[in-house]
Amino acid sequence: MKTLEIKNLHVDVEGKNILKGVDLTVQEGEVHALMGPNGNGKSTLLAAIMGHPKYIVTEGSITWDGKNVLEMSVDERSKAGLFLAMQYPQEIPGVTNSDFLRAAMNVRRENPVPLFTFIKAMEKTIKDLEMKEDLAHRFLNEGFSGGEKKRNEIVQMELLKPDIAMLDELDSGLDVDALHIVARAINNMRNEYPLSLIVVSHYERFYELIEPQFVHVMVDGRIVVEGDAALAKKIDEEGYDWIYKEYDIKPASAAAPAKRAPSLGTCAVSEKAKASK
Amino acid sequence: MRDIRVNEDILLHEGFEEYVIDSIRDLDLSIRFTPNAQALFRIRNAKSLRIRGYAEDGCESTILFWNECQAPLKADETYEVNEGAHIVIAYGECAGTETERSTYVALRKPYAHAEVVSASLVSSPLNYRMNVVHFAPHTLGEIRNFAVVLRTGKLMIDAIGKIVKGAYASKSHQTSRALSFEEGQRSTILPELLIDENDVEASHAMSIGRVDDEQLYYMMSRGLTLQQCTALLSAGYLLPVADVIEDPQVQSLLRAELERKLSEL
Repeated sequence: MKTLEIKNLHVDVEGKNILKGVDLTVQEGEVHALMGPNGNGKSTLLAAIMGHPKYIVTEGSITWDGKNVLEMSVDERSKAGLFLAMQYPQEIPGVTNSDFLRAAMNVRRENPVPLFTFIKAMEKTIKDLEMKEDLAHRFLNEGFSGGEKKRNEIVQMELLKPDIAMLDELDSGLDVDALHIVARAINNMRNEYPLSLIVVSHYERFYELIEPQFVHVMVDGRIVVEGDAALAKKIDEEGYDWIYKEYDIKPASAAAPAKRAPSLGTCAVSEKAKASK
Repeated sequence: MRDIRVNEDILLHEGFEEYVIDSIRDLDLSIRFTPNAQALFRIRNAKSLRIRGYAEDGCESTILFWNECQAPLKADETYEVNEGAHIVIAYGECAGTETERSTYVALRKPYAHAEVVSASLVSSPLNYRMNVVHFAPHTLGEIRNFAVVLRTGKLMIDAIGKIVKGAYASKSHQTSRALSFEEGQRSTILPELLIDENDVEASHAMSIGRVDDEQLYYMMSRGLTLQQCTALLSAGYLLPVADVIEDPQVQSLLRAELERKLSEL
């Protein structure tokens, strides 16, 4: 049984300490929801697991199937079965979805995937996610709407069949119909094999569709509360204030809003207002 | 396929033709474009090439020079484009040897149209000088360069679009892009527009830069190594040059050759 085990994880980003001792264990086939206010380390945790070069692990460990993930390069982590559906998928002009996905599938196999097999698999996945038929020939995420990019992450996930998938605010940018399509595709994968999931979302509606067994709330770089699906429902209804009070903690302050730069428009309005007085 | 080993006057014919330039001498070639001609020139061996091209009124032709030289190449090319003619002059540079190329295109008569296109995998010094000069009204000149500069490569592109007085309603456009994967690589692109007429359209776009780290991370997070990412991104940059020849078989052959080069990176 493959297990992801994170112990006392501390992570710095550009010299700032974001994760301050995270412990999390995900067993095969389990679905974990990761909640918490913005800017408190949820995405940092997922990026650190996947190996983003900007995220520096200063303390702690991550193991997957008994192997030290922190010693693996990003591509090795992927080949080991880890997958991150990104919050902001990159646009790669000049590289078609089909070339990219075929290359990604081939690195997981001894022999290249036959073209016919690949085309059939791609067609099925495009149909599952209700994407446009020309997806295969379009450049990777280039010119895609926000929702298309998110669905394309699941296209990739379905074709690469990871053992554990991390979904970083996958539901942001998806309309209600698309949310159901994506959730259905993910649940179909779970029915096919024991896929583990770590899901970051602010919305209980997505969790209703994915049905996590475990919910973790992250505040200021630590997991402070854990529970089952009822916890996600409570947060959806009551927010996070009760957690701050009950556990006597404060969230990491969100980035200060940018100081509003003076503009000709605002000055002109202000002067007009003054003149009318 | 026809071998060219000595100085020749080449008359292109309608349809697709393939020539192989293979000579230990300096070569002097003249090329006469004819309507609907598509020609692939594989340059296997040539010390120095001097090419003079002539496109008669109304002809539409494409030539693609595919550099396979194992030794340094120096090419000096001049093309005359006449009324209503449309020619495409394309270069596929993936030999990895030092290359110096000067291309001069004269849009001599009204409605002449020339496209100068290059795709280069640069692992040695590569020096392009491209000069498209509009001598008549309603002419269109386009320069498009795409280069992937590898660690040992050094790229220099001097791209000039010139519109002389009296060549009104002409359009001169150019795009040059160079992509590198490591720091410390040298690329120089000089886009120049020399305009001596008011009623014209002219533009240039240029970019030189490393592949974005976030893009590499994204691709690697799907299991591709840095080398595989390099090959895939380079292919996206360079392979479209093969499509200037309309024959699908030739396209796939050239693409396969380029992909083989990229897989060896």
